[in-house]
Amino acid sequence: MSEMISRYLNELSAALAGADPATVQDALSDAEEHLRTALDQTLSEHPETSENEVVKLIIEKYGSPEEVASAYKEVEMRTAPALAESKNQKDRSVVARIFGVLIDPRAYAALFYLIISLATGIIYFTWAVTGLSLSAGFLVLIIGIPFIGVFLLSVQGLALVEGRIVEALTGYRMLRRPIFARKDLGIWGRFKYLVTSGLTWKTLVYMILQLPLGIIYFTLSVIMLAISFWCILRPIFEYGFDLPWLMIDNISFYTPGWTMPLVMIVGILWLILTMHLVKLIGRMHGGFARIMLVKKEKVVDEGRLESAIPSV
Amino acid sequence: MLSDLSTANKKFQKELKAGTVALVLLGILDRAVEPMYGYQITKHIELAMENVPEIKQGALYPVLRSLERSGILESQVEPSVSGPPRRYYRITEAGRETLAEWKVTWGYTKNFVDAILKGQDDV
Repeated sequence: MSEMISRYLNELSAALAGADPATVQDALSDAEEHLRTALDQTLSEHPETSENEVVKLIIEKYGSPEEVASAYKEVEMRTAPALAESKNQKDRSVVARIFGVLIDPRAYAALFYLIISLATGIIYFTWAVTGLSLSAGFLVLIIGIPFIGVFLLSVQGLALVEGRIVEALTGYRMLRRPIFARKDLGIWGRFKYLVTSGLTWKTLVYMILQLPLGIIYFTLSVIMLAISFWCILRPIFEYGFDLPWLMIDNISFYTPGWTMPLVMIVGILWLILTMHLVKLIGRMHGGFARIMLVKKEKVVDEGRLESAIPSV
Repeated sequence: MLSDLSTANKKFQKELKAGTVALVLLGILDRAVEPMYGYQITKHIELAMENVPEIKQGALYPVLRSLERSGILESQVEPSVSGPPRRYYRITEAGRETLAEWKVTWGYTKNFVDAILKGQDDV
């Protein structure tokens, strides 16, 4: 890639410092796409012109890094994603912030994610472990290499799916890029890219970790929810179904009438605590998934976008 | 004094552009037969643009992104033969409805502003 373009991208990413990382990635990939496409097309139409002249003109039309950065920041400010917390949430009173979690769609989405993560965790773990061991076993056979290729491709596919789920349920934006940034790679090139790409291996680690994480998330959220409903529904259990809260040697223990409201209040508080915890875990998991599943676009000094053009 | 005037003019142009750019992009994509990628769109604008305040091409992309987030556009990334992957944009059904509304609003605004400005000349 032209040195001027990579310098421009570096300046752009510096000018965007402090913006949402997803915005930075959007801006960088838009700029890279535009500048390189413009350069290619201008050079093919006018092969006699010097590359540096052309790039200078293209960049002038595109706008300086500062101008472009401020355009992205402005749009980012105007449009917040649907589930994102509104900016004035910080101004709300402490009480509203504590109890508001009960009507926060993001908390429920996170709860849903934590509960299904047991199922997805089992699927990912089984897939990763089976695939890895079969790959190792087949390595000595003629089908070994194609098998590894297909398996790693399926891993990338699952990473995209999981990224979508995490994005929808925790509100963390996951950037998508096509797995292969170039069409002209050829099968061997693609295979080499899959095997050498750090993302493939990070995704595998994520898939394996997802089983223990899924078990923890599921157990934790179910137990916490069970405790709160056990408290909140106490009057129905005891007065409606005659279920004592404890039975030892056929002696039943019932909640004394005057403590019933207290038990229910504790249950409601516990539910609020649960939802806050669930939301926090969802957010942490979103951050973790972003590290493990998303290609990082790193502008490097040698003037090459590392992830965009695989070094094959 | 002169520089004051030109900054005021620049500010006005900027504020005016903020709303019209989205309308222009929608209008182009509404007429497009096939999905278009950013560079094609900027080329199109460049050809149509005469005596119009210059819009920095880089400022169009964030608007495309935000239109996509609101469901007015949809996009797909396709690898290209030699260069970087390209994001192809296309207008959605909701986008066409939005555009129809925007066109009406634009018509009203244009007439209203024209009428006021004309009235001013008569005074």
